[in-house]
Amino acid sequence: MTYLKSRRFIGAAFTAITMLSITRTITGNGDLTSTVTIAQALVFASPIALAGLAGIWAERAGVINIGLEGMMILGTFGAGWAGWQWGAWAGVLAGVVFGAIGGLLLAVAAVTFGVDQIIAGTAINLLALGLTKFLAILLFTDAPGGGQAQSPPIKGDIPTYTIDAIVTPLTALHDKAIFFISDLAGLVAGLFYHLSLLTIIAAILFVMTSYLLWKTAFGLRLRSAGENPWAADSLGVKVVQYKYTAVVFSGMLAGLGGAYLSIASTIYRNGNTAGRGFIGLATMIFGDWRPGGTAAGALMFGYIDTLRLIDTGNQNVKGLILLGAIILFAIGGVMLRKAKRNSAIGFLVLGSVMVGAYFSASSFPPEVAQVAPYITTLLVLATASQNLRPPAADGVPYRKGDHH
Amino acid sequence: MDQNALAVELAGIWKRFPGVIANSDINLKVTAGTVHAIVGENGAGKSTLMKILYGMQKADEGTISINGNELVFSSPADAIEAGIGMVHQHFMLADNFTVLENIVLGSEPKSGVKLDFAKARKQISDIAAENGLAVNPDILVSELGVGDRQRIEILKVLYRGARILILDEPTAVLVPHEVDELFNTLRDLKKEGLTVIFISHKLDEVLSIADEITVIRQGTTVGSVNPHTQQVSARDLAEMMVGNELPTPQSVGDTIREEVVLKVDNLSVFAKGGKAIVDDISFEIRAGEILGIAGVEGNGQAEILDALMGIEVSTGTVHFKAEDISNQSTRHRRELGIGFIPEDRQRQALLMEAPLWENRMLGHQTREPNSKGFLLNPRGAKADTKRIVAEYDVRTPSIDVLASALSGGNQQKLIVGREMSGDPKLLIAAHPTRGVDVGAQAAIWDHIRNARQAGLAVLLVSADLDELIGLSDTIKVLLRGKFVADADPATVTPQELGTAMTGAGKAA
Ligand SMILES: Nc1ncnc2c1ncn2[C@@H]1O[C@H](COP(=O)(O)OP(=O)(O)O)[C@@H](O)[C@H]1O
Ligand SMILES: [Mg+2]
Repeated sequence: MTYLKSRRFIGAAFTAITMLSITRTITGNGDLTSTVTIAQALVFASPIALAGLAGIWAERAGVINIGLEGMMILGTFGAGWAGWQWGAWAGVLAGVVFGAIGGLLLAVAAVTFGVDQIIAGTAINLLALGLTKFLAILLFTDAPGGGQAQSPPIKGDIPTYTIDAIVTPLTALHDKAIFFISDLAGLVAGLFYHLSLLTIIAAILFVMTSYLLWKTAFGLRLRSAGENPWAADSLGVKVVQYKYTAVVFSGMLAGLGGAYLSIASTIYRNGNTAGRGFIGLATMIFGDWRPGGTAAGALMFGYIDTLRLIDTGNQNVKGLILLGAIILFAIGGVMLRKAKRNSAIGFLVLGSVMVGAYFSASSFPPEVAQVAPYITTLLVLATASQNLRPPAADGVPYRKGDHH
Repeated sequence: MDQNALAVELAGIWKRFPGVIANSDINLKVTAGTVHAIVGENGAGKSTLMKILYGMQKADEGTISINGNELVFSSPADAIEAGIGMVHQHFMLADNFTVLENIVLGSEPKSGVKLDFAKARKQISDIAAENGLAVNPDILVSELGVGDRQRIEILKVLYRGARILILDEPTAVLVPHEVDELFNTLRDLKKEGLTVIFISHKLDEVLSIADEITVIRQGTTVGSVNPHTQQVSARDLAEMMVGNELPTPQSVGDTIREEVVLKVDNLSVFAKGGKAIVDDISFEIRAGEILGIAGVEGNGQAEILDALMGIEVSTGTVHFKAEDISNQSTRHRRELGIGFIPEDRQRQALLMEAPLWENRMLGHQTREPNSKGFLLNPRGAKADTKRIVAEYDVRTPSIDVLASALSGGNQQKLIVGREMSGDPKLLIAAHPTRGVDVGAQAAIWDHIRNARQAGLAVLLVSADLDELIGLSDTIKVLLRGKFVADADPATVTPQELGTAMTGAGKAA
């Protein structure tokens, strides 16, 4: 089992690097796999990944958490406010606590009072947005360096690590532009370049979640609350307690994701989350409600975001389009071999359109890349939704003793 | 253990729900080491009583004594602690979990914080081997059929070390040979000193397995009999349950007419991998004819019905009277006058969280009396729901309660009433009386027979072979998606039919 899993992981990584490498070779754009790109992609990916992980916790216990965005907003605010006064670590802590309050609110509404979970989540999003805007005006307007829509700078920093012994030679190797080798070198070097301790914590949380939810009795019980709470109840599992735990922890993770954003931009700013809570939700679905796939989805979003933002000659987006085409062709090929002709044709046609676009235009505006992650998620949903296994009682209100 | 020691004693149990008294002054004594049956009509309060004994619901009044000690249960955990286990009427399994996960949930073996999967696997296979309940612990429950699911439910209970086992209508979903297997298991458990409380409507079964029978009528215990020492027949029990004389269900007259109502040619349904679940079958049903399909569950019955209703993708052609409806929508088919009683009432026939009158409109939302032109007509729907409740004897405090508040048999009566409304020409029915008690069963049969007299064509799937033989004009045996034999309901016995269904022999 583990052997098979690790083999699949290595296979997937190998395939991904090969595709990146092909794209890099054709476009001659070294940025696609450079150390800096990868390091930045991790920074962009982490908050999204944390939001996705937060989604996993809540939904595995059967509570749809559309309020992730709001909990993230609370996290960004908490981090800005406490970080400005007592330093970055206090900011992280406050972000987590504020997120937890958002989670608790959802738990009370959705679990105790059985309010429709979509409505409760949406209410939290609106509430968080309004409350933080109001508090920002109240607390930051007259603060030195602050303003109506942003906090003063966060004091101090979260440590980041660069291991020169790895980064310097590998970056040099990347610049040699050797097929596969250089790209692998760039990817690895990126992992050790300005790596934030918060990113490491996020990674640990992912591993911890996999273990806790799928290998322990605690996790089995928590997931049973999302699969069939009535069965769980009939076996003496304290369903409500597990739902509360899960949703509050979900809020903490989303809050941490928000704090990450504020720390990365050194201040709290209104609207800094920019829908990342929802993107996190999308990565969770992309990842089939599992940590591994969710992390992969978040990395994809982070990577695309990075290329879009560091795009100097509008060449990165062009590269992305070619990469997308190559991926579509690869999937189309797999589908052909599995004798799914119709899906295969769909992928191949779409791939050809993208290749056509690649060769017909000399550059693309960055906005094109902005929609790419969403299209990818849609594609995943359209093609893989039959194989997705969401928790069976996800979003179903649970009242004790109600089921016949 | 003392031969006559009481494993369970319930005294003066009362339980009230808004508008209903589910249990009123129930007294029950269960001797240790016996199989004790509880029988009663739908809505008599059997499940409620068992949920009270299992700590899922709290009695308003009354006491529970287990092995002579008076106990108070505030949750199933307390009941489990006291050695009680329950297999529910509707299975309580998580489909996306493996067999192992379902069994150990709530009492997991651990090493440190880790769930000890190896130990769990060993414990389960030990218990399974001891009791002849073979299962693969690592398979997902969603891939299993009803018989296997029930075995898992029993394993779940044994795994927790239960000495007192409650089975709520365990045979309602089983075919005859599965029932035999279950009874063998129960006899084994009894031999090991366990006490079994067994709820059923099927009185022949009760008589064959029970050491003692308690009858509940309208929430109260009306008597106990010991079939070993007293002469009782199924009919005696039924009359105790209902409280008056029963109508006799029988008499088959020939009502088949010339007109072909349903004509199916070369129908196939394929599974994801391309395997045929329904394999190129053809048949026709005339007006006034009931065609019965016999088969072990999972041989393609559900798929045939879904395909005929246009819910499942299929190949082949389906004609309703002269019209080719192969490519028509489900709604169009229903509007033509096809009624549908699906296999899984909670999944396909009802909105559990909607009131009865809204459920009355389901599938009939475009027709009188539920709509007027473009708009829905709640008033008409409500009035007609009242009619169904009265005609089909649906036991409910009002038509505004949620479908989930009805007992299973009463939900079924509502569905049958709905599908028989609006003068259908063809009824496609799976297990029309599943979970319904004897009295109501006879009434539903009468409704179907009367409609047949008036020209209704019926496609009937049922696991109850007596029902199938009693109602059908023609029986076809379905095995792995193909019709493998025909049987004449006038001469075939349930045993012969059961054998043919497993592919072991030919029906008469
Ligand atoms: N949770 C509930 N809320 C309201 N009414 C209920 C509830 N559970 C059972 N009832 C009612 O109590 C009566 C007894 O139901 P039940 O014990 O399920 O009957 P049985 O198992 O004998 O068919 C029925 O009238 C049913 O509608
Ligand atoms: Mg019942």
